[in-house]
Amino acid sequence: MAEQLTGSQILCRTLLDEGVDLMFGYPGGAIMPFYHALPEYPALRHVLVRHEQAAAHAADGYARASGRPGVCVATSGPGATNLVTGIATAHMDSTPLVAITGQVPRAMIGRDAFQETDIIGITQPITKHSRLVEDVEELADAVREAFAVAREGRPGPVLLDVPKDVQNQKLAYTDPAPRVPEARRAGLVDRPTPMAIVEASRLIGRAQRPLIMAGHGVILSDAYDELKTLAERTGIPVITTLLGISAFPESHPLHLGMPGMHGEVHVNRAIQQADLIIGIGLRFDDRVTGNLAAFARGAKIVHIELDASEVGKNVPVTVALVGDAREILRELLATIEPRDCGTWRGEIASFVRPRVDSFKGGLAPEGILEALEDVSAGRCTVVSDVGQHQMWVAKLFRYQRPNTHITSGGLGTMGFAVPAAMGVALARPGEPVWAISGDGGFQMNMQEIATMVQEQIPVKMAIFNNGYLGMVRQWQQFFHGRRYSATPIWSPDYVALAAAYGIPAWRVERAEQVDEVLRAAHAHAGPVLVEFLIEQEANVFPMIPPGASLSEPIESETVSV
Amino acid sequence: MTTMRAVTVLLEDRLITFNRAVGLLRRRNLPVRSLAVGPTVTPGVSRLTIMIHSDEATANRAVQQLQKLVGVRAAIAFPARDGVTRELALVKVRATGERYGELLDVVQLYHAAVVDDNPEATIVEMTGSEAFVLSCIRALERFEVLEVARSGAVALETGLAETGASVPANI
Repeated sequence: MAEQLTGSQILCRTLLDEGVDLMFGYPGGAIMPFYHALPEYPALRHVLVRHEQAAAHAADGYARASGRPGVCVATSGPGATNLVTGIATAHMDSTPLVAITGQVPRAMIGRDAFQETDIIGITQPITKHSRLVEDVEELADAVREAFAVAREGRPGPVLLDVPKDVQNQKLAYTDPAPRVPEARRAGLVDRPTPMAIVEASRLIGRAQRPLIMAGHGVILSDAYDELKTLAERTGIPVITTLLGISAFPESHPLHLGMPGMHGEVHVNRAIQQADLIIGIGLRFDDRVTGNLAAFARGAKIVHIELDASEVGKNVPVTVALVGDAREILRELLATIEPRDCGTWRGEIASFVRPRVDSFKGGLAPEGILEALEDVSAGRCTVVSDVGQHQMWVAKLFRYQRPNTHITSGGLGTMGFAVPAAMGVALARPGEPVWAISGDGGFQMNMQEIATMVQEQIPVKMAIFNNGYLGMVRQWQQFFHGRRYSATPIWSPDYVALAAAYGIPAWRVERAEQVDEVLRAAHAHAGPVLVEFLIEQEANVFPMIPPGASLSEPIESETVSV
Repeated sequence: MTTMRAVTVLLEDRLITFNRAVGLLRRRNLPVRSLAVGPTVTPGVSRLTIMIHSDEATANRAVQQLQKLVGVRAAIAFPARDGVTRELALVKVRATGERYGELLDVVQLYHAAVVDDNPEATIVEMTGSEAFVLSCIRALERFEVLEVARSGAVALETGLAETGASVPANI
């Protein structure tokens, strides 16, 4: 039976059809018809953020934690442009996101109307797809297409721009026939040829110094078990990239650590000496490879990657296996004989260097993260921001469970952690979610504490406060003659700030306080804030200078570049 | 090897789709030398020809990236020397009096054609490879050239594509 529905009602219906039950947004003129319809659909929970950027990051966090597309909503003009950083973040890290923006009425488009902006044009390079809905007749299809494109193949953000009058347009609407859910639509994803599988398998069987580099693709394709089986059957050690962290249990004896700019010396040295690298779901980004010309010169590369256009983009590949990581690993496993790479692992073990203590007696991130692991029994999800603390959180917390480390890798978006953690917390009710930020990144989106309070989102916020934009300061120390230009940053009294929002907060200045405060923070059911006053000029070691090769790490303060 | 290569794309004939395809070329910093877009025999589908001066891997990656765009039906790349490449140019020239006869000689020499003639200006049409068109325009520069409109190159791979990946005529 067809019924008369407005575009807004159709939008709500189709969102429900796509399995949406949560969205993050902010109303405004051109999206008001949608907000008018929303209360008729109580199954669609709407979280009112304090800034649209947070809506996009929260939807991104929700998508990363749940594997389902996140949804954010904004009005035209400034509402839409405020989403841009969040959309770009999702694009760089292959997160399925559907952004819905209001647009001025069709007759006004192109006339520089009030709050008009060409958001399709603005977001084109940072979306997987975008579409201006030109008539209510195409709205339902546009929504279905948006979700399909966002989640299929290599996921990414899709933007739907819906003019206000289309939201008000009426249509005799019939519910579409229920669709068979297709998590992985055949045909959209390539499959490697049997010859390529055989060749890869031969290389894996023969290599003397092989390594597995696991990236975000392992998490996106849910290939944890297959990765573990491959590693255990062959004895090949596993490196996890920044976004691959938590794709492989870190207590596992085959886990090596993180590669690249802030990777451990033994990890980078292993890469430089490897004769085979099995890259799974990663794009050999410059933060991972360092100077490309000097990257793993002796290694053949087997690249398992969903997106054909990533293969050979940065490093020359010996065997390309294009397709879904889990499927390919299963095919590979069918052909791979057990072996052990004990000698090679022994060699790598001899590369291990004692961690350089860059902390001179102040409160050290290492101790905080160890205590957090202890207090949470490792059962929490950690969302980090961008900067020094991001590297500490990546390297010093031992992730045991899949997909429990969430961060903005590709775009490196400061201000990501606090709003993204709201999405993560709503995707994982009952599980502790920590948003760990520096004092810089925290101040970029701290307005979202209000959202957490209003919507009762139990994010546990930690600030690693060193009074500097620490990573930039570290670069200034090493590469700009210690000229600390614009990096000292003042903070408000965070405990008083938290009090103003009505949430519990603690300031931690001494190592002895850490454990007790973290326990109290864990015990509290709602949002909480903990400020750690960490050592001001601590550095992240080791560090590969930008443009240098993985063989040239800075390992301590004494080295000047 | 870096050489001139044609990337041909069949795509929806909507501005947003052209915008996406061309935006991708810019964003990926591809060495584009010419662009031409026109309708195909299939309603709603256009053909975009991009000439790029690059190595094979760059051209292939451009194809893979173009294929990911919603609205792109097919894309292939081939070295220009493996195909036929043509562009069209219209040149508006002023040649009066005895110089008019000289103009007609040049037109004939280049197998070009006079397609519009009025006392102030003559429009000459020519078709050929980029090099041919350029040399023809140069030949016309001995007269007073008022305006030049070039189409950009279109290209077809000769014979049957080795990969069997030729862009179909109808999709």
